[in-house]
Amino acid sequence: MFCKKMVLAALLFTASASAHADTTVIIPLAAEARTLSPNPVVDTGTFELAGNIYSHLVVTDWGVVAGTPVYGDLAEKWDISPDGKVYTFHLRSGVKWHDGAPLTSADVKFTYDRMIEKKYPYAAFLRNVERIEAPDDLTIVLTLKSADMSFLPLLAQAAVWSGKIYPRHLWQDQDGFDTGPYVNAPVGSGPFKFVRWDRGNAVELAANPDYFLGKPTIDRLIFRPILDPNVARAEFDSGQYPFLPPDFAPPYAEIAALRKDPAVQVVITPSIYSRDIQLNTQREPFAKPKVREAIALAVDREAINRLAFAGLWKPATHASIETQKQWMNAEASFPAFDKARAEALLDEAGYPRGADGMRFAAKLTGPTEVACSAINQILVQQLRDVGIDVQLEQFDQATWRQRLGEKNYDISCYFTRYGPDPDAYREHFATGGQRNFSGYSNAEFDGLAERAVTLTDAGERLELYKQMQAMLTRDMPYINLLGEQKISLVAAGWSGFPVQESGYNKSVTWYGYFAVKPPAN
Amino acid sequence: MRLLRYLIRRLLQILPVALILIVINFVLIRLAPGDVAIMLAGEDADAAYMAALRERFGLDLPLLDQLIAYLSHILRGDFGTSYRTGEPVLGLLIERVPATLLLAGTSLIIAAVLGIVIGAAVARRPGSVADTVVTALSTCLFSVPVFWLGLMLILLFAVRLQWLPSSGMVSIDSPQGGLGRVLDIARHMILPVAALSTFWLGQYIRLARSSVVEVLSESYMTTARTIGFSERYVLFRHGLRNALLPIVTVLGLEIGLLLTGAVLTETVFSWPGLGRFIYEAILARDTPVIMGAFIVMSFTVMLASLVADLAYASLDPRVGF
Repeated sequence: MFCKKMVLAALLFTASASAHADTTVIIPLAAEARTLSPNPVVDTGTFELAGNIYSHLVVTDWGVVAGTPVYGDLAEKWDISPDGKVYTFHLRSGVKWHDGAPLTSADVKFTYDRMIEKKYPYAAFLRNVERIEAPDDLTIVLTLKSADMSFLPLLAQAAVWSGKIYPRHLWQDQDGFDTGPYVNAPVGSGPFKFVRWDRGNAVELAANPDYFLGKPTIDRLIFRPILDPNVARAEFDSGQYPFLPPDFAPPYAEIAALRKDPAVQVVITPSIYSRDIQLNTQREPFAKPKVREAIALAVDREAINRLAFAGLWKPATHASIETQKQWMNAEASFPAFDKARAEALLDEAGYPRGADGMRFAAKLTGPTEVACSAINQILVQQLRDVGIDVQLEQFDQATWRQRLGEKNYDISCYFTRYGPDPDAYREHFATGGQRNFSGYSNAEFDGLAERAVTLTDAGERLELYKQMQAMLTRDMPYINLLGEQKISLVAAGWSGFPVQESGYNKSVTWYGYFAVKPPAN
Repeated sequence: MRLLRYLIRRLLQILPVALILIVINFVLIRLAPGDVAIMLAGEDADAAYMAALRERFGLDLPLLDQLIAYLSHILRGDFGTSYRTGEPVLGLLIERVPATLLLAGTSLIIAAVLGIVIGAAVARRPGSVADTVVTALSTCLFSVPVFWLGLMLILLFAVRLQWLPSSGMVSIDSPQGGLGRVLDIARHMILPVAALSTFWLGQYIRLARSSVVEVLSESYMTTARTIGFSERYVLFRHGLRNALLPIVTVLGLEIGLLLTGAVLTETVFSWPGLGRFIYEAILARDTPVIMGAFIVMSFTVMLASLVADLAYASLDPRVGF
């Protein structure tokens, strides 16, 4: 009864909202912004705000899971030289900053130069750039030191977080993107203009009538920090928000009931990440291939999926995930669940069950993130079932990340990235890779990875990535478990939220609300 | 004059204690693993950028040098700037303090006053039905988790009945000043204050009750009654005054912890207060903010205990300066 009433209230609310001339949308945010200048440091609280205020040269959104790793934002189109080294971007004409000044290639060059000079996070993605030139107002040319097929997809993906184009005429006299009057009063060129920031309470944006892709349908966009997911959910149910972002995902057990509710659309969006376990190959007994294989045999993905995610995630048995099918080696897979075989392998490896029934002790750790916490609780039991005396060890995010970097762990839940470009394998598994936490080191793999990223022919590239995946499923420095699914709620009739298919390739960033449309009357 | 000397002596005592606290806190934070550079630069950043960040914040220096630099800044009243926002720490803290004081202070006053009145009332007839019910209830109140209570209040009064706002300190379109603003904040305060004071109320009822019961059985109460003073005079002049002593001790401690005692309530109601802010700073390893907050908290605790001692002296003539 309670539920029915809320449904009715939500319907009434949305209906009356769309009848108004002014459409206001309030979005709850899990983290409050520290500043409104996204480029100098990584600040999860600014992603959503900055994504709607600023523009990018090229960008991506959730359409990446349907095969679009990059599309133009300020760049209308681009040409790549046959050797894959020179990228010539042609900017849209007539683009204006929120203060009315024209946006030109000089702004793009200024922003990129400044980020490289200051070593801001985005500079990591411009590392391979040798020269940035702006031959005329609407052309920007990036020349790379070497051909790099991952360059453009990563430039687009990182733009979502910290690659916003800043207005040169306002920032050139500032020492960095973290000082001066425009840090917390941003002037961008995106679909929404900054109105006010009432700290701790709300950030208000207004539709930009001069936006180069047209005025957004939403007139007022307001972000509120809501720190407790239960409260955010209650407020969504009472009709205060048309959208409950994945950060506030409802418990999986509720999804079946929510799907039957006509007032709510349950949106399940796959991602380019998996959940997997990393094994510290530089530490005994995980240095032994047989032990790693035994662990792979001991995990029951179906059970994890059923118990932790109500069966809504996708078991991943390859060294890839479903949203990156175009790069998947479907023939190379991790061994299927086989407890008896796991036990036999552990016996062979020299770890028979002791008097207490256990073979050896190990610590299982992971980030504080919800999915990994849920997976770990089940993994403990599955590994103990084959005689590995597993203890769960939980740290806060910073500590966990540091321990992984120092290879001070046994087994850890992790989220390996597979897109927007398959060069991601290099970061995770090549010798010395930035996120190579398993300590995997294979010269043949390294060589293939190095070559694959320079090949302009997609077919040739695929062959190399297939070989690399075969090595990963053979050597098992990690064990893939499940393809991540993001769950969000959208009120009935609303469309164009970035996680919805109707928002793919036009949301402008993973956090963009440009494409959002209220229910038709 | 004696009071003034006492005050000065106590205030001077605070200084060495504060210094020791600063040093301990500083070392403890540096001992914690995790690094602000990773948090700020993101996992994709290169080593050069992280090194530049560490250098900018002076994290590349030996611990002792960092400590000396920090102390010399503190002595000049400079709390440093936040790693995350680049703004002065003191300003950031001061911005957050009023919201917390408003929420926690109001709740504490309501809980203490109501608790003392109810506790004293039931203490006059220990073992009566009213006493049993109130004692049992106050134990319940005391053991209800405040985040759960807060959520229930939100579900009932904000979501179902839609009488009150569910979260935040002001509405989206709150008037910028004047009576409208005050009323708006007051409306937003009702639920969090109810949740937080309920939690504290149970504690004060139990405290006041046991304290008054104990005092009522003292022989000087019987003496006073025998002399022929009115029951009312006996209760207030001799009873409550003595019973207040332990309550003042607890109240003093709680005022000292006021700034951080409401973290859970602030989280549930998205209240823009200090507790939540410090919690986030700790997770992000924003050391200047954490240190600044610790110092402010240490001073409130020390000042509150000084105030409690003064209140003690005025309640109990045997306590001198």
